[in-house]
Amino acid sequence: MTSYLDKKDIHLSKNFFKKGYFIQKVSDLKSLKTLRKAVVNSLCETIKVKMKKEKDFDRFLNDIHNTIKIKNLNNTRLNILNSINSSSEFHQKYFEVAKNLLFSLVGNELAMQTRVNLSIQLPGDASSLLPVHSDIWSGDSPFEVVVWIPLVNCYSTKTMYILKPENYKKIHSKFKKYAGKNSSDFYKNIKKNVEWINIKFGEILIFNQSLPHGNIVNSEKETRWSLNCRFKSLYSPYGDKKIGEFFKPITIRAASRIGMNYSLPNLKK
Amino acid sequence: MGERVPQHIQNQIIRKFCETNRLEYSLSASEYAMKNSYLMLEEIINEKSSMNGIVFYSLFQLPENKIYRNNIYKNIIKRKKKIFFSVENFKLSSKNDILELEEIWDVKSVLPSCYKGY
Repeated sequence: MTSYLDKKDIHLSKNFFKKGYFIQKVSDLKSLKTLRKAVVNSLCETIKVKMKKEKDFDRFLNDIHNTIKIKNLNNTRLNILNSINSSSEFHQKYFEVAKNLLFSLVGNELAMQTRVNLSIQLPGDASSLLPVHSDIWSGDSPFEVVVWIPLVNCYSTKTMYILKPENYKKIHSKFKKYAGKNSSDFYKNIKKNVEWINIKFGEILIFNQSLPHGNIVNSEKETRWSLNCRFKSLYSPYGDKKIGEFFKPITIRAASRIGMNYSLPNLKK
Repeated sequence: MGERVPQHIQNQIIRKFCETNRLEYSLSASEYAMKNSYLMLEEIINEKSSMNGIVFYSLFQLPENKIYRNNIYKNIIKRKKKIFFSVENFKLSSKNDILELEEIWDVKSVLPSCYKGY
């Protein structure tokens, strides 16, 4: 097989295949801080508190469960989501933060999810859970990856888990045994083999969303804040999430533009 | 582009879009079923009423022919009207918006020739 990938790309790809994810320190810290600032500012506006200084962001976000009640959480989350998604700069910075990893693992002509998602997981809150799932099972294309950005340090139950590829492979071939069962039964079976993602603010996670993943009730003393967004190679197969309604092209190259606009000369009179 | 959603569902989505974006929903129109018919669309665009915009269910309801599509954009902008696309949550009111929208059309139009299997 011919492959002209450079050493860095090969290293990343091997790790991605083996672990199902890759964590990297963000080189463009300025963009990352812009993302966090946008979330914090929108949060302050939503819950009507005084704007915070950057040095206080970490504590403010981690301790937000002392200010927001669970019953108000979804409205707060929706307000912040609408605010960050109305800004094209926010989307661009999101891409910038993950650009190098995406170019290595996905390609350089990309489609990006039109709306960035936000997870807020208050300690003890069972209403914001994502039971074990693979995104492909709910309509995503296996050609997509998720770029997951923590806005605070995430660890233990304050983070997400993912099933290792080697374990998924074993389960995949015996999936029939889950017929008639539910996702909790499935989770119980894979629980011992999942990996809990330990990640700090300043790092990003890119993961294979076809692997089963999810979260459980956050039993730490801090609130989890994380952003996630899907990317895929622009011309790779789409699932139920289509171009235009769910994805937008973000890095169309010159040759593609020429090709898409080319028509053969017409000889008919 | 081969997509089909029942008309009453399209209407619900359009109404919800108007509500969310604080647009006054005044008139519903359905295009004739004949292939490549845009008679109703032309009628609405050229109407000299106080109506200042058109909300589509999806941007893929526009004509597949690029030149025809571009004429529609030009006509809309000339008449200082706006068009919205509910599913894509997209507003077209300037030349820049046209470029963005056409990128999506361009990609969509080459996808049938790209790898499809999984």
